[in-house]
Amino acid sequence: MAMESDLELMLRVRAGDAASFETLLRRYRLPLVSFFHRMVRDPALAEDLAQEAFLRVYRARERYQPEARFTTWLYRIATNLALNAIRDRKDAVPEPSDDDPDGGPARERFVDSKPTAEQQLLQDDRRRLIRQAVQSLPGNQRAAVILHKYQEVDYRQIATILSVSESAVKSLLFRAYETLRMRLEPLLREGQI
Amino acid sequence: MKCLDHERLFGYAHGLLGEQKAAEIRAHLAGCSPCRLIVEHYQRLDAALEEWKPTEPSAWFDARVRQAVEAQEARRAASGSWGLEWVRGLALASLGVLVIAGVAWLTYRHRSVSTPATLATQQAPQMATTQAPSEVAKLNPVAVTPRQGEKTGKPAPELQSGSTALGEDEDVGALDDYDLVANFDVLSEIPKKNAGVAN
Repeated sequence: MAMESDLELMLRVRAGDAASFETLLRRYRLPLVSFFHRMVRDPALAEDLAQEAFLRVYRARERYQPEARFTTWLYRIATNLALNAIRDRKDAVPEPSDDDPDGGPARERFVDSKPTAEQQLLQDDRRRLIRQAVQSLPGNQRAAVILHKYQEVDYRQIATILSVSESAVKSLLFRAYETLRMRLEPLLREGQI
Repeated sequence: MKCLDHERLFGYAHGLLGEQKAAEIRAHLAGCSPCRLIVEHYQRLDAALEEWKPTEPSAWFDARVRQAVEAQEARRAASGSWGLEWVRGLALASLGVLVIAGVAWLTYRHRSVSTPATLATQQAPQMATTQAPSEVAKLNPVAVTPRQGEKTGKPAPELQSGSTALGEDEDVGALDDYDLVANFDVLSEIPKKNAGVAN
């Protein structure tokens, strides 16, 4: 049986089909929780926000109009939630502890190719610096990078999600990458990245 | 050789340029090592970012979402029926307030038109204790009509009832009321005492 499109599922949810909502939940739980975790850095808050995003999708089901792609609508809801959360707790973001250099839960890991203990330390430090660099970007730039890099959302969709033009999205991404490049220049120069 | 601006190099590194522009930049990069390094840094940065893998939701995430949706549905159902009751209650309360206000207004109108003397009787004692007769006169001219021949030290205020002025020889029905006249006695004493204090 062919996989139903998001649009078909959402139209069924609109008509009151709870099973279709379950399918959407299973399909987007991982992308949404990951998106929020990358955006807000806090795993518990990321889950709360993902739950709220699904709830908002459910609440708005009767008003859903299939004019844009479902993911555009979903990530628009998610991005607004994430940007609000970032704004609300701007100075309350916990720094990663020494025991957990990645600053995240044990289940989240970068790609691992069985390094030695020393290599592992260097790798941990490098990952922490990259993560910190991404998460110190301004909200809109961070959202643009994460949507583009991890959520496989194209420029036009990002423009709709952030309510800006496509050229503004390219500009946001350029400024974000330029900031990352400058912040991580020592690692780039030493060949650690 | 002049280096290219970084925005163009970024566009090239991310495949955002058309074929012609990309070819121009490729030609430039062949002879410009600083620009080549910048493009290489963008590409290495991209590769490093890709190492950041997704975060698995907790085992209870789906259950929490389902629970939140069910709670939302329950609230919606409850607020739907309660909302109807609330609107009905508000309509009834508004109607009650309107009826009471209407009755009160009609009662007030009826009293003020038919029994001005009664009102004067009720108001005069209260005013006598706190206000000078001249002030009372402004508020209720009928209540401070001086007795004939009595001097108050001041010219008698011009008396009016509504829009009709009363002459000295006109009969004032309120003066037939014993309590009201008794109150005039009290009032007439006040200026004398005040005058004594002033002197």
